[in-house]
Amino acid sequence: MTVLNRLRDVAVDRRNNRSDQVLFGTMLALSGFGLLMIYSATRSAGSVSMERQMIFVAAGLTIYLIASNIDYREYRGIIPWVSVAVLLALFAVFLFEPVNGARRWLPLGFFKLQPAEFAKVVVIVLLASLLSPHTRDEIGRRNLRWTHIFQALAVVAVPAALIYVEPDLGTTVVFGFILFVMLFVAGATWRQMVALASATMLGIFVTWQQGWLAKFQLDRIRVLADPTVDPQGIGYNLRQSKMAVGSGQLFGRGLFQGTQTNFEYVPEQETDFIFTAVGEQLGFIGAILVVAAFSVIIWRLLVIAANARDRFGALIAVGIAAMVVFHVFINVGMTIGIMPVTGIPLPFLSAGGSFYMATTLALGIANSIWLLRTPVPGENQLS
Amino acid sequence: MKFALRLTTLGIVFASMLAVIGLRLWYVQVAEGPQTAQAAEELAWLEKTSYGPRGDIFDRNGTLLATSRLVPAVLVDRTFVQPEQRDSLIQSLSSITGFDPIELGILYDDAGINGRFQVVTVSNEIAYVINENLDHLPGVEIAMIPERVYLSGPTLAHVIGHLGLPDANDKEERPDLDLSLRIGKLGVERVYDEYLQGVSGLVEYQVQRGQIVDQQPPVEPEPGNSVVLNIDLELQELAELALEEGVALSNAVKDDARANGEDVFSETQRAAAVVLDAKTFDVLALASFPDFDPQSFVAGIDAETFEGLTDTNAFNNLAISGLYPPSSTFKAITYTAKLEEDLPLAADLEGVDVANQTVHCDGTLVLSKLEDGSQPPKTDWYFPRDLGWLDIHGALENSCNIYFWSVAMGTWRKFKDTPQENILQDWAKSVGYGSTTGIDLTAEAEGTVPTRELFEQWAEYQLENPDKPPLLEPNRLELASPWLGGDLVDMAIGQGAFTATPLQVAVSYAALVNGGRIMEPRVVKEVVDADGNVVFEPESRLVGTVDIDPATRASLLTDLNRVVTRGTAASAFADFGPGLENIGGKTGTGQTSKNRDNHAWFVGVAPIDKPQYIVVILIDEGGSGGRVAAPVGRRIMQYLMGNELTPIVEGAQAD
Repeated sequence: MTVLNRLRDVAVDRRNNRSDQVLFGTMLALSGFGLLMIYSATRSAGSVSMERQMIFVAAGLTIYLIASNIDYREYRGIIPWVSVAVLLALFAVFLFEPVNGARRWLPLGFFKLQPAEFAKVVVIVLLASLLSPHTRDEIGRRNLRWTHIFQALAVVAVPAALIYVEPDLGTTVVFGFILFVMLFVAGATWRQMVALASATMLGIFVTWQQGWLAKFQLDRIRVLADPTVDPQGIGYNLRQSKMAVGSGQLFGRGLFQGTQTNFEYVPEQETDFIFTAVGEQLGFIGAILVVAAFSVIIWRLLVIAANARDRFGALIAVGIAAMVVFHVFINVGMTIGIMPVTGIPLPFLSAGGSFYMATTLALGIANSIWLLRTPVPGENQLS
Repeated sequence: MKFALRLTTLGIVFASMLAVIGLRLWYVQVAEGPQTAQAAEELAWLEKTSYGPRGDIFDRNGTLLATSRLVPAVLVDRTFVQPEQRDSLIQSLSSITGFDPIELGILYDDAGINGRFQVVTVSNEIAYVINENLDHLPGVEIAMIPERVYLSGPTLAHVIGHLGLPDANDKEERPDLDLSLRIGKLGVERVYDEYLQGVSGLVEYQVQRGQIVDQQPPVEPEPGNSVVLNIDLELQELAELALEEGVALSNAVKDDARANGEDVFSETQRAAAVVLDAKTFDVLALASFPDFDPQSFVAGIDAETFEGLTDTNAFNNLAISGLYPPSSTFKAITYTAKLEEDLPLAADLEGVDVANQTVHCDGTLVLSKLEDGSQPPKTDWYFPRDLGWLDIHGALENSCNIYFWSVAMGTWRKFKDTPQENILQDWAKSVGYGSTTGIDLTAEAEGTVPTRELFEQWAEYQLENPDKPPLLEPNRLELASPWLGGDLVDMAIGQGAFTATPLQVAVSYAALVNGGRIMEPRVVKEVVDADGNVVFEPESRLVGTVDIDPATRASLLTDLNRVVTRGTAASAFADFGPGLENIGGKTGTGQTSKNRDNHAWFVGVAPIDKPQYIVVILIDEGGSGGRVAAPVGRRIMQYLMGNELTPIVEGAQAD
């Protein structure tokens, strides 16, 4: 059996496998559409944001191409070192002056690097390495051991804690979601999942009871039920963004039309609230098309996971899918009033360099997994 | 569960999440969308605030000291400015008003979306030009804004105080503060801020796409209440001028001393004066030198001027926050305590005649038999002189340290380690030393009345915090108790660790001469509304009373008169004019350290037969009290008694 697998391995000619064109095409379409939306939200002020974003898109696509052509199995050896480097970067943000009360950025002159965004991708690869079989004996293993669970928790806890104190609660929650999804796919038993879910619930309950959340964080949750909380601050944000999306109706006001967008009623529109520009100008049709495009990306990532040549690759693809779907859910959810307001950007559309490049890096890795997939779907082996 | 099944489950979960988003979008955009779109077009209730003028400030005779005038100001309401109009609007406004375009841009951005902000107050001519061009200036309006005007200029600066933008502390203390308004930061402007602040008016109106479509009946703004001071402006001006001359006199005296090769350590730079009504404790004048111009804060003070004023302590009101040894001015309290409590003279000392209650004031007291054995012969530090044998009256008249030291030593011998050990300190505290007087101004200092308990606390603190600056000499810490007889000796003449503010000295003299009543001094007489109705009057301000025998009081007043007719202030009062027999006073020269000049004090009481005014002069490192402070006090007392004013010239050196 093993000998046969090895032979098949050799027999797979990489040139015969083609890149995931659907994945790349959808990503390209969303990026271009994102530039248009950023322009529509900032054109009255000269649209410097869009010009900057064009540079990020160019850099991101380059990163995608490079990552596509690196054998993802190489990462297994270097991921501990990369993790240490990312941890140092997460510590380094505390050396700089806070922006709006938060320390999240490393100023690099031309642009401010946000290490937490890259940490998402690094943690996905690290978890995949940890949770996939390392020895021949482990291949047949179906379920995870408790030691795996605790190791995975430890690996995520350190960066998540650093990001929590930046403070960036939203990104911390993203880590939790990714961990949960990857543990499930890696073979956690129902008992383990229930235990983890209960521990999480207990944690949330204690945090709430003890008042460990800052007032602004609590307000962001309370405002969902009661929009009169903080009407000038977060309540204003929520009301304006719901008003912008809602007034788009079925077909939208038309590109570059719409008072909410043109009068800059929605704060942070080109970054975290970019979806309001889509909703107001292009209506339900445009908004649902964007959601559909993200569905395509999620679908492709799950197909890549199913076809990956080994569990390591499959878990990476699953982790990336979890990251993308959670970002879309939280970000779009907050503009339409079903999720609290957090600084979680919308993949490919929100203005900003760090998350854009981290996402293209992730999709590049996924494409590499696709390129190296086994000829027989579902056949998982050691690399 | 198989891997494929797990992936499938995950796919279903992810699909459900996206489906929730899709359904909610349908609800928000298609189901509710039409109403939302209509609301976005219509609904925008906005409010506009108009400010009531700040209340006026008057002196006790109704002279207007501070008022508000309505001045045209350029306001911008961002609700009516389209984003692309921002830059051109800033350009046009700055070219018309001369306001810096970069700063204007900062104001604009800080105001936020829909924000309304004040750019600058302008002249009527510029206001006219802007009104003519409103069509080309979206969001701009000219409004009449109240602006503070201090008619008295730098006079009374420390009492009136000044305004400023609220800082973090103010916001914490008063969460409902309107942040676009200036508030009182110092003095009466601060203490009475909530009375003075005008009541803002409000207009609510509805806009649709930048056009006003509806308006609620406006709530008109109301002016703030006015404050009437107890201060007499004319007396205040005279006192401030006299202080300035006193500082100049002190520096002239120092120049002469330098020329004679004597030690002079610094230029005289600071001084304070208090005129207090001895019966009502109304503050009639309260001056601190140097001062500042409160008007400079109205348009916004520049950093350089502000730092210059901070460097010279110009914002400090020395009359209530400056701490100095009360020095010989305190002898009047020791004097009263001796007569009231029958404090003994120290019988065992050379040059003390207990039978006749006299002391040989020859400049030296030999403290031979002190228990701790640490006290060498004590020499009158001020200057050597032999005044012969003096009783308590002569001792006060000539400010004889030896006499009061003997009282302190006798008190020490008699009461040491008994419940009455603090008898002299208790007297000091009962006439107001060691705690704030409760005047209605900010930043009043407490001062220190030294006692054994205090010294023991200091010693303990010093042992626990060896790296902090020492409060006591290190060898004190080795003694059983750090409080020594010598400390009481220093305290009896207002020296040692004893500190007090000029206002505390004034309050203590008022209590001594008015029959023993202590009240909280007040600079504000009343607060009145726009129609002249009194809205605030201080409640009963009696702090306490102290029993003083009328005979003691009469004796003190007689001896205070002798100070100005024959004693340490006689030379300074030589040209007082008629009625000198009805004036009392006491000089003081406070020593703080061997390499600083002495603080010059003078306390005046007038008239002697029916005490009404207490005048306190302090010239910080000014030198001898009799020489430089008494002449300043004399000028003010000439004014109070209706005498002709004579020049402030050097008096005789005396402590």
